[in-house]
Amino acid sequence: MPFFLADVLEVGVPTIDEWVVWAILASPIVSWALIALYLRKIPAVAGYVTIAAVGLSAVLSVIVLFNVMDADGGTVVFTHEWFTAGSLEVNFGARIDGLSAIMLVVVTSVSFLVQIFSQGYMEGDKGYGRYYAHMSLFTASMLGLVLADNLFMLFVFWELVGLCSYLLIGFWFHKPSAAAAAKKAFIVTRIGDLGLLAAVLLIWAEGGTFQIDEIHQLALTGALSSTVITWFTLGLFAGAAGKSAQFPLHVWLPDAMEGPTPVSALIHAATMVAAGVYLMGRFFPVLELTTDAQGVVAWIGALTALIAATIAVVQTDFKRVLAYSTISQLGYMMLALGVFGYVAALFHLMTHAFFKALLFLGSGSVNHATNTFDMRKMGGLRTAMPFTFWTFVIGSLSLAGIFPLAGFWSKDEILHDAWDENLALWAIAAFVAFLTAFYMFRAVFLTFFGEYKGGEPVDHHDEESHFHGDPAHPHESGWVMRLPLIILAVPAIAAGWVNMAGMTDWFGRMVAGALPEPELHAVSFDWWIAGSSTVIALAGIGTAWAIYYRGVIASSTLRDAFYPLAAIFENKYFLDRLYEDFFARTVLQRWWNRLLELIDVYIVDGIVNGAGTVSRGLSSRLGVLQNGQVQAYGLGLVVGVVILVAAVFTANPL
Amino acid sequence: MELSLVLFLPAAAGVVALLLPAAQEQLARWVALAGSGAAFVLSLVLFFRFDNAAEGYQFTERHTWVSVGDFNLQYYIGVDGLSMPLVLLTTFLTVASVLVSFNITMRPRLYFASLLVLATSVIGVFVALDFLLFFLMWELELFPMFLLIAIWGSGRKEYAATKFVLYTIFGSALMLVSILVLAFDQGTFDIELLTQAEFQDTIIPLNLVFLLLMAGFAIKLPVVPFHTWLPDAHTNAPTAVSVMLAGVLLKMGGYGMIRMGVGILPEQAANWDIWIAGLGAFSVLYGAFITLRQTDVKRLVAYSSVSHMGLVLLGVAALGDTGLTGATYQMVAHGLITGLLFVLIGLMYDRTHTREISQLGGLARQMPLLATGLVFAGFGSLGLPAMAGFIAEITVFIGAFERFEWLTLLAILGVVLSAGYVLWMLQRVVFGPVRHEWDELTDQRAWWEHTTVAALAAVIVLFGVFPSILMDMINPAMEAVAARVVL
Repeated sequence: MPFFLADVLEVGVPTIDEWVVWAILASPIVSWALIALYLRKIPAVAGYVTIAAVGLSAVLSVIVLFNVMDADGGTVVFTHEWFTAGSLEVNFGARIDGLSAIMLVVVTSVSFLVQIFSQGYMEGDKGYGRYYAHMSLFTASMLGLVLADNLFMLFVFWELVGLCSYLLIGFWFHKPSAAAAAKKAFIVTRIGDLGLLAAVLLIWAEGGTFQIDEIHQLALTGALSSTVITWFTLGLFAGAAGKSAQFPLHVWLPDAMEGPTPVSALIHAATMVAAGVYLMGRFFPVLELTTDAQGVVAWIGALTALIAATIAVVQTDFKRVLAYSTISQLGYMMLALGVFGYVAALFHLMTHAFFKALLFLGSGSVNHATNTFDMRKMGGLRTAMPFTFWTFVIGSLSLAGIFPLAGFWSKDEILHDAWDENLALWAIAAFVAFLTAFYMFRAVFLTFFGEYKGGEPVDHHDEESHFHGDPAHPHESGWVMRLPLIILAVPAIAAGWVNMAGMTDWFGRMVAGALPEPELHAVSFDWWIAGSSTVIALAGIGTAWAIYYRGVIASSTLRDAFYPLAAIFENKYFLDRLYEDFFARTVLQRWWNRLLELIDVYIVDGIVNGAGTVSRGLSSRLGVLQNGQVQAYGLGLVVGVVILVAAVFTANPL
Repeated sequence: MELSLVLFLPAAAGVVALLLPAAQEQLARWVALAGSGAAFVLSLVLFFRFDNAAEGYQFTERHTWVSVGDFNLQYYIGVDGLSMPLVLLTTFLTVASVLVSFNITMRPRLYFASLLVLATSVIGVFVALDFLLFFLMWELELFPMFLLIAIWGSGRKEYAATKFVLYTIFGSALMLVSILVLAFDQGTFDIELLTQAEFQDTIIPLNLVFLLLMAGFAIKLPVVPFHTWLPDAHTNAPTAVSVMLAGVLLKMGGYGMIRMGVGILPEQAANWDIWIAGLGAFSVLYGAFITLRQTDVKRLVAYSSVSHMGLVLLGVAALGDTGLTGATYQMVAHGLITGLLFVLIGLMYDRTHTREISQLGGLARQMPLLATGLVFAGFGSLGLPAMAGFIAEITVFIGAFERFEWLTLLAILGVVLSAGYVLWMLQRVVFGPVRHEWDELTDQRAWWEHTTVAALAAVIVLFGVFPSILMDMINPAMEAVAARVVL
């Protein structure tokens, strides 16, 4: 444990009316039901209903946040019995504390802006009403996940966000790639969910409760053995690794980019994929007690951050750069959790939500103008799309960790915690920081600088396409899309100021208040960390500038120089082929399941058919169905009597 | 009196339908709807009048039917928290089956009569409190099932029908042996008395009696390796029969295991519990693996039923109130969800005339409502929260995990496999590029199609969001069963 002067926090109890809390959850549910039942065919209204509903949730979330601030980050729980089955008792309740209150505001505010943006982006799509129904349901599910006061309920909403993710990735279901990506996302995350389910079963068997605060207490008081704590935590982490796309379960997230871009911004960048980090944060008091699990979390996080960043470097698809970047940043957050960086991880979760949502919406705006995500068909968009360009640069600088933007503060805090705990982890994180700055500005230069390469011509035969611009002459998106970009640029710049190392600690106090023993390990400002990370980030940007703007060295030359590595990166470490072609198609389907099927047909059923041939022959030859019935019936009775007689004689031999 | 009405109203309507003059044979469906509807409404009334706090059976009726020496064959019926939900499930799915058969034109009088007699026999199994009455009802079900598959089925229908009958009879024979052994020891067929009985020296050992009894029910559930009749029966049966078969007939097996197996012979159940749990986990995985290979939508759902019924077995084997309650909940949930799946597949088949996955695809464009239904039911089947199946599965898992950690952890692998086969099916049937050969087909349009699908979907969500409605009814009955088990 790093040595800090722990600042013990005095927290109060927030005074919130319970209905306010449930209204946050209910509002998007009502919107979903209205759209699904009545407004599917009236798209114009569907969008406004969703925006209004999410807006209401956002306002109420802010009210809740202020209440929690008044209580200095204290906790209040509203819980009700949901159902009982024998000794099993399950509650349905909301837990309001600094952590959930901040998450509520992040989720509702990003969702609100994304819904507005979607009005422009999805305009004219055949599935406009369906889109908003799914988006409403997603927002509700995510809010339920955040509010949950117990692991069971959290698991329920965890699965529901998985459903929404599936429906929205597969939104353009006529595209085989979209249908396949949706399936892949759901199945891969469900593999992780096995761990979460096992954790749910284990904690009930060993602890007899699902309540988050009670689980904390059981762990802290030693009522749970260290083995149980470790397995419980690893189970949670398996679930978190699925949802938060950690190696080796990260493979679904890049494919998830098949969904509409606002979906990627909200679900696959800002909120749902952060749910894994949120889950681990929620159970940080348990995680803290098991060094084994911590090591796993930290190293998986570091490995994920590294692997994803190296793949991001070679992507040609604008959106996939962002997707791999998201995976990499989520790995960063996991790394932080593994080195006691509770505040740092959640702080980065928040800042990342804002700047990554901004970046994704920016890529959507670019796509709206060029009809493509292929960066090789872009270039020079800086002049045609100034708003998109400048906001995108702000997002990129924030992600790269440039002072004084949001990402700088949160990333530095993670580097700080890693430095204190394990130098190897710090070194990986620092290297990833370099790659991050590099690939982001590679994307910026390829997209916004140089010559415009024409975009993707519109396919007028594609009846599903709703593209209505001229890719040859790209233009800035309308205000309904511009405005969310501008608004999101504000927190991308300033969201980090709530927890500036050594200066402000509002965020730290809020989330630390959610711990069972509220205390804050304040991070002091460290010139070495801040200085080195700034140099690293500038080096990354500079390298990208040299290669992709000045053309000091051709990228193809560079690729050849790194030949085997570059091929590995481009093939995503061959993991998709290993999982899909080798494991799923060959080992599972072609070998194992085929073997079982043969056994089923030729042995299990074969024996029975052999035995049944006689009576079947009789019934079909006689032709009269009722007679077949009697025959069969008679045979059964005879068999029964024979067994009975045999049994009697065995029991009482003559 | 009310319970007898629920029991015999369907069969009575069946007789009326059969007696209709040939010129009015199209009236048969309305007669069937009236009869099954009345039974459903009445059972719903009973469901609401049911007192969860009361012990023992409710709405009981007892008449001596045949009396020979010491033996009384009684007409003794009643329901408790185990059978009440299953009775309601049966009457509900009977109405659904009648509705999805509304366009039957071939010999409608005999068809609806068979369907309704089938309903009566299944209800009879659930309400019978006399072992011989139970057995009679159990056997009565074969007759209409055989006709329904063999006459209105498709493909190898005679083969499927015969296989179904032979399997069931084989199981019945085993069951009959056990019934006689138990009854002769106690001098009664009264299930209530047998449940409280201390058996003395039965002519064959009680452990063996238990196994014979369970084997009979295992064939019905079905449990691997007694399951191969199910895919054949489903594939060749008409839609309504698939709905009844998956929805309620399989539940006769699970019901029998709890009421007779564990209920009457708790000590023997405890002796065999780990074997039963192992077979349950095995069925879950085996069924799911083979489901992944299926190319016919109906066979796919049939094999998935084998997997889902494995969970019932696992919950029963846990022998605790949580596991037993979960197993019962799973029976109801599976009946609704798989019932809905078969309804939708039937509607799809009516239009496309194929069930081969490779020939389908892109249906979401031409038939958005049907496609939405399939996605909904598919997610129900893979155990998505807010639907009944999730509550059932997780309750079974929690109940089983306390006793069989490793077997339960094996069984939860089924959760991933089910996501695999459901989503694989959806991807190839509902999604993907538009196929223009289906352009002329209409989406789900008729009132009876809408009503059936919407009603089933609504109930699936209802029991997924408000599980207490059922749990509070099932659980006391399961506590009573579990209390007699000494582990």
